[in-house]
Amino acid sequence: MMEASELKKILAAYDTKLDKKLTLNVASLKNINLDKSNKNTKTILIYRIIEIVVFSLLALFMGNYIAINWSQTHLVISGIIVGVFTLIALAGSIGQVVLLQQIDFAKPIIDIRKKIELVNTHGLLFVKLMFLSAPIWWSYIVVGSDYLFNIDLYTHMDVDFVLKYLMVNSLLIIPLVWFLNKLTYKNLHIKWVRKTIGLLTGTKTMKALEFLNDIEKFKS
Amino acid sequence: MKANKKERFIKTIDDHKKIIYKIVNSYCPNREHRKDLEQEIIIQLWNSFDNYNEKYKYSTWMYRIALNVAISFYRKEKKQPIKNDFYDEESIFSIVDENEENETSLDFHLKLLQKFINNLNELNKALMLLYLDEKSYEEIADILGITKTNVATKISRIKLKLKKEFQNI
Repeated sequence: MMEASELKKILAAYDTKLDKKLTLNVASLKNINLDKSNKNTKTILIYRIIEIVVFSLLALFMGNYIAINWSQTHLVISGIIVGVFTLIALAGSIGQVVLLQQIDFAKPIIDIRKKIELVNTHGLLFVKLMFLSAPIWWSYIVVGSDYLFNIDLYTHMDVDFVLKYLMVNSLLIIPLVWFLNKLTYKNLHIKWVRKTIGLLTGTKTMKALEFLNDIEKFKS
Repeated sequence: MKANKKERFIKTIDDHKKIIYKIVNSYCPNREHRKDLEQEIIIQLWNSFDNYNEKYKYSTWMYRIALNVAISFYRKEKKQPIKNDFYDEESIFSIVDENEENETSLDFHLKLLQKFINNLNELNKALMLLYLDEKSYEEIADILGITKTNVATKISRIKLKLKKEFQNI
């Protein structure tokens, strides 16, 4: 049986050998374009900045829309709902830019890996927002049809239908919030969570979530 | 000024070349991709060279960067060769008389140890490399970003695994 200390000796012998035989090829080193920046991080950063610009414009538009239609309660409520979702998406994208700016490979490995993997799981936020929008999808339709076609759908709806719709969808919010809270890397051990995330996001996000799980286990 | 910086950089790399060599070999089993990983590590080290924090040893700084780059490289979905700038040239690091190196130092135990390290996940692999390089628990904790107690616990677990692995020899 071999002890760990004996293995260290083997490695020490290997180290001595490397000391003698390992050489640095200075010519090759000088040939590398050392000023080449991290293209991958820059590309992600550009995408996130575009997201921020788009969501900021949308938030401004919604603010303006609410102000213009202030006297019509149903349009204001619809506008506020769409505006809130826009602001959540904007906050998510700003958070991503902050994370990207904090990625410094000279920092401890666990901190940096966590930040990188959180950047890679960004897609999950949009999936969650999409699901969370389900009970209030009518807000998008009301705002869209009013702005694009100048048609106020609400005035064409039956009051009874609107009330029933609102009641049923408000009841949906609680199980939906529970469902979305479950969709995190901490619950990857649950089969349906794993399958749902895999189905809705894709391999890259799934791998990032799995690694976040590994990081948490490693830290504990 | 820049030439002076480059000379200092080359000297730093030369002084710590074993760190990069071992990390590249542990995280990149595919020989063809090693040049790419070497290049990525060197570029990242160069980009961070001006921001080197003297509070830490050069080896700590180098381990953090090289391990972070290696883990990212290892985790890339498709490990396709990157079109590097020195594709047709030699690697940055080379072993003098490689044939002899293959025959003598990569003996049975060393191969078994390398196999054991290769089977560990990305984070435990980093821990194992640091442990075998005789880094103090404090330095390992600094590099990885976990507590000293956690380092000690994890090392004792890995030691047990290692013992089991080598039990039948």
